[in-house]
Amino acid sequence: MSQPSQSRATRRNRMIGRFRVARRRTAVAALAAGFAVLVSSCTVANSDSLGGSGSGLRIVLPEEPPTLEPCESSLTSTGVVVRSNITQPLIERDPKSGDLSPLLSTGWKRTSDTRWTFTMREGVRFQDGTAFNARDAAYSIERAVNSDLGCNVDGYVFGEDPLDVEAVDERTLTVESKEPDPILPLRLSFVEIVPTSTGTAKKVRQPVGTGPYEIGRWDTGLKLRLDRNKRYWGKAPSYENVTYQWRAEGTVRAAMVTSDEADVALKLGPLDGAGDRGVNHPNNETTALRLTGEEPPLDDPRVRQAVNYALDKRGIVKSLFSGLGKPAGQLVPSGVLGHNPSIKPWPHDLKKARALVKAAKADGVPTGKQILMVGRHELFPRVSETAEVLQEQLTQAGLNIKLKMVDESAHLEYQLRPFVPDAGPVALLIQHGNQAGDAAFTVDQYMTSKGAQSVMGTKGFDKVIEEAGRKSGKQRQKAYEELLKQQNGDITQFAHIAHMRGVVALSPNVSYRPNSATNDELRLADIRPAG
Amino acid sequence: MSPMAHDRQGAPPAGEPAPEAIPEQSPAADAGPEREAAPRQAHGAARTGMWRLLLRDRVATLAACTLLLVALTALLGPLLVGDLATKQNLDAVNTAPFQSDEGWAYILGSDSLGRSMLARLAVATRTTVSVAVPAVLVSLLIGSVWGMWAGYHRGWRETLSMRTADVILSFPSLLLAVVVLYVFSPSAANIVAILAIARIPIYLRTARAESAELQSRLFVDAARTFGTRSGAVIRRHVLPTVLPTLLTVATADFCFVMLSESSLSFLGIGIQPPDISWGLMTAQGRQYLQTSWWMSIFPGLAIVITTVSASVLAAWFRIATDPAQRWRLSLPRRQRRSVRRAGQEVAR
Amino acid sequence: MITFLRRRTLSSVIPLAVVVLGVFCLARLTGNPASLYLPLNATEQMRQDFAERNGLDQPVLSQMADYLGGVLRLDFGESLRTGQSAGRMALDAFPATLQLAGFTMLIAVLGAAVVGSWAAFKPNGLADRVCSTMSMIAASVPDFWFAIVGIWIFAVTLGWLPTSGVTGHGIWILPIATLVVRPFGVLVQVVRGAMVSALSSPYVKLARSKGADDYRIVTHHALRNAAAPALTVAGDLTVGLVNGAVVVETIFGWPGIGKLMIDSILQRDFAVLQAAVLVTAVAIFVLNILIDVCYALLDARVRQAAKT
Repeated sequence: MSQPSQSRATRRNRMIGRFRVARRRTAVAALAAGFAVLVSSCTVANSDSLGGSGSGLRIVLPEEPPTLEPCESSLTSTGVVVRSNITQPLIERDPKSGDLSPLLSTGWKRTSDTRWTFTMREGVRFQDGTAFNARDAAYSIERAVNSDLGCNVDGYVFGEDPLDVEAVDERTLTVESKEPDPILPLRLSFVEIVPTSTGTAKKVRQPVGTGPYEIGRWDTGLKLRLDRNKRYWGKAPSYENVTYQWRAEGTVRAAMVTSDEADVALKLGPLDGAGDRGVNHPNNETTALRLTGEEPPLDDPRVRQAVNYALDKRGIVKSLFSGLGKPAGQLVPSGVLGHNPSIKPWPHDLKKARALVKAAKADGVPTGKQILMVGRHELFPRVSETAEVLQEQLTQAGLNIKLKMVDESAHLEYQLRPFVPDAGPVALLIQHGNQAGDAAFTVDQYMTSKGAQSVMGTKGFDKVIEEAGRKSGKQRQKAYEELLKQQNGDITQFAHIAHMRGVVALSPNVSYRPNSATNDELRLADIRPAG
Repeated sequence: MSPMAHDRQGAPPAGEPAPEAIPEQSPAADAGPEREAAPRQAHGAARTGMWRLLLRDRVATLAACTLLLVALTALLGPLLVGDLATKQNLDAVNTAPFQSDEGWAYILGSDSLGRSMLARLAVATRTTVSVAVPAVLVSLLIGSVWGMWAGYHRGWRETLSMRTADVILSFPSLLLAVVVLYVFSPSAANIVAILAIARIPIYLRTARAESAELQSRLFVDAARTFGTRSGAVIRRHVLPTVLPTLLTVATADFCFVMLSESSLSFLGIGIQPPDISWGLMTAQGRQYLQTSWWMSIFPGLAIVITTVSASVLAAWFRIATDPAQRWRLSLPRRQRRSVRRAGQEVAR
Repeated sequence: MITFLRRRTLSSVIPLAVVVLGVFCLARLTGNPASLYLPLNATEQMRQDFAERNGLDQPVLSQMADYLGGVLRLDFGESLRTGQSAGRMALDAFPATLQLAGFTMLIAVLGAAVVGSWAAFKPNGLADRVCSTMSMIAASVPDFWFAIVGIWIFAVTLGWLPTSGVTGHGIWILPIATLVVRPFGVLVQVVRGAMVSALSSPYVKLARSKGADDYRIVTHHALRNAAAPALTVAGDLTVGLVNGAVVVETIFGWPGIGKLMIDSILQRDFAVLQAAVLVTAVAIFVLNILIDVCYALLDARVRQAAKT
């Protein structure tokens, strides 16, 4: 060291003396402590190894399930893991044919107008070893539908009236509804069965069920592992264990499959880069604009018709959805009971749209008044571009559209009752998924005048809906077909856009055919090693 | 009281020479009163001198031209391109750039809705500039005035200010963004407010550190003894000394603000469509990286080029305003190099 | 030293409280979480029950009093989303962010010290120009963009690295590389600037004239002086990382505090948000104190003050 600095340094050392040594020690100790924390925390991300990938299946989801509570399984992020994997319902719906097939219940019968009787399967045990019987089924239904837990299944599948549930004996269960309900078995296919030891005071995060897999280990935030249930009553599934991870970006999920870090990636967009690993499938989702009918200019039927004519559904599907989808003319896709194959999408006719707006204007309708179009991020792939296209097309028809993109919470305020007060005329961009396969689930929510997600309706139409709901079989199908047609003609609450298709990326190691329910309940037993 | 109660007051800001490196009078510190005393004419001469200096440095000139171009685009761009930026053409989406047959508007290609990338970049320039510049200026103004005031007076005012800075620094600006987005409306002005608030502490701390250090200097002391009011002392003596540093920090921040705006767009809580900014274009274009690279590369490049130009110009400005270093710029290029070599030789 | 620490800690309590209360109030401006958590056709009664259960029906002031009471007992409430203890969730997530930020800064500081000194050694030389330009570019690239391009090139096209994952050390590379870019770029510029000044200072010239070699001059004389400004900037950058590695955590599925924070904001999970903010705020305050301590150790002016 050269002299001047040396002498300066020594002088200072002397001056500050002991004090400085103490300080330095403290600082070193602090740094050491900091480093220790750093190193010890390294274990977090590397806690344990996956084991050989040969015996396990790796799935990447868009988001972590907030909970595995079975009564929340109509939430997509929970249901996709829980349903038919960890817990099981009494009855299962085949997503392709729409038929109901026995699961924990081997048979069911309508014993009166309002009462159904179910026979329980024998020899089934829960993952904790207790035997399953009718009491568990009754308890699970009570818990999901009649308790104060505020279960999402309750609101999605069942109406406001409580059900009367009774376990007649070990093997027999009766369920009675207040009003005649021909699709009660279908509704019950959404109730996952848990043992009576499950609490009713609080939702459970890690449930016990009868399904082919049980919860192995859940490292919150990192991954979730399910292990094969050794007590499973049915055929053992192909994989010994299943690991779920979650990545928010579609491109990252696709990349994980192409670089062999995952076997299945759900909910991809057409441009996420899955390449030839991508398989597209109908996902029962339908996109539409929901129009408020009380505020001018949308209170005029001609304006709502004009909105329908102005949208170039074919162009949107072709260029924005990469051809994955079909222009829609109704809210339920084919494959759902009640879908009306004779309804064609409204033709794209800008001239007619303009003429309708002009005619309304001539009658004193303030067509220049601003209409708020509300969209939400991540509603479906390329949603903000779609919204911009819709805005442009409606503007061309002569309407004044303001686009507002919001997050899920704010979107729900527009979507659900009680609606945002003083919002003015709103065209809400929605995507409706009918998971249940019966138009009743759509119509009750979206078309009755008091429906939770409906902004328009009439007393007369309510009655039509109510009557349709009581029918069964062919009559039911016909009634809903008629009703959907009537909605388009008389009420026009919706400007439908498209029946959507989703993309799943599959590694060459697995064999699986995604179906319309894949995003809501990914049945692990259906996934097998390839070859 | 232990010496450390000083509370990082001496912390020199980015790029400032280290304390030990400068003996008692730093040339920059003396520049303040000197400049003040100079007659007006000399002032004007200094300005033309600066221009000449700038033109002599090729890189700095280029940077200045780029920034000028950005400013002009922000001012006039939206007028020139008209409704090209919003005109959709679903039959000509994702056309590649640099293909002459589509016309000049599509020289940079088209986006996923068939809109001209060039026109959209031009319109986005205005949004970006009108977010980044006010955000930086507002935080610079508030932060530096507040910081100089706190550092000059010391005591409780200083403590209060520093703890306020801590509060702002540890406050999640993401939450602010969401609040602003859903409670107020997603406009550029609101994004400016969020970014400005989040960046105030940076200037506050820098200005306070500098002015606390100056406050004990002889010339400031002298001014005070002669009864100059504190506001005037800060304006005349503290500000000129602190300003170059603050401006450097501000240029660095210009870049930070643009990137933050971009990150907010990525998370879906920044500028909202149909408005458009470089950050939003980069964020939206990310899903097309593998198919149509130009949709996020061009706006990304715009951010990079603008911030690099700003940094270059700021670096030059610092040298040009530092009397001890200005000579470096006033020499012709070749000579500069030889002087440096000679200097090294002497040093050895 | 001890006095100083005690004073700083005490004077941090009020700002911490301000942060937490500010977050408490602002969060409640973002709307009622009921629609997110209740069934679609929830009745008015169900909404009221929900509000009652979660204390949302009380006036904000009394909610705040309840909350503060809970905080004093170290009870941060329960997550609406997961039903877990909010404090637990925040504490579980924090180490993941801390290690990410720690390694990032370690690499950025060491790298910047080497590259910055190298560049400063011959101002305006080729190395300097290349380093300066590269560092400016590095400091101005959006991080999500870097992350996605990185995944595409290194994981998908070349297959050298995992995109993200749960095991092995490879998973560290892309997130840290993404995070390191900006701090590295900024720090190179800072170190370079400080080094240029230090190298042209009289005492370095003196050392040169006494025959010290280049390496010794840089490491023993100049770098020490350049450390102070670099430390300040590095401190600010670390605070930024601790508070907001959100983008990188989101892309790579890193279970850190930034991801927890953005999720709880978007899901209106107030208890978790408040706990997460409190944890990061404490960390930032501690970090600031640590920086002050380091700074005091480095700063000659403070040392000078010690003798009086």
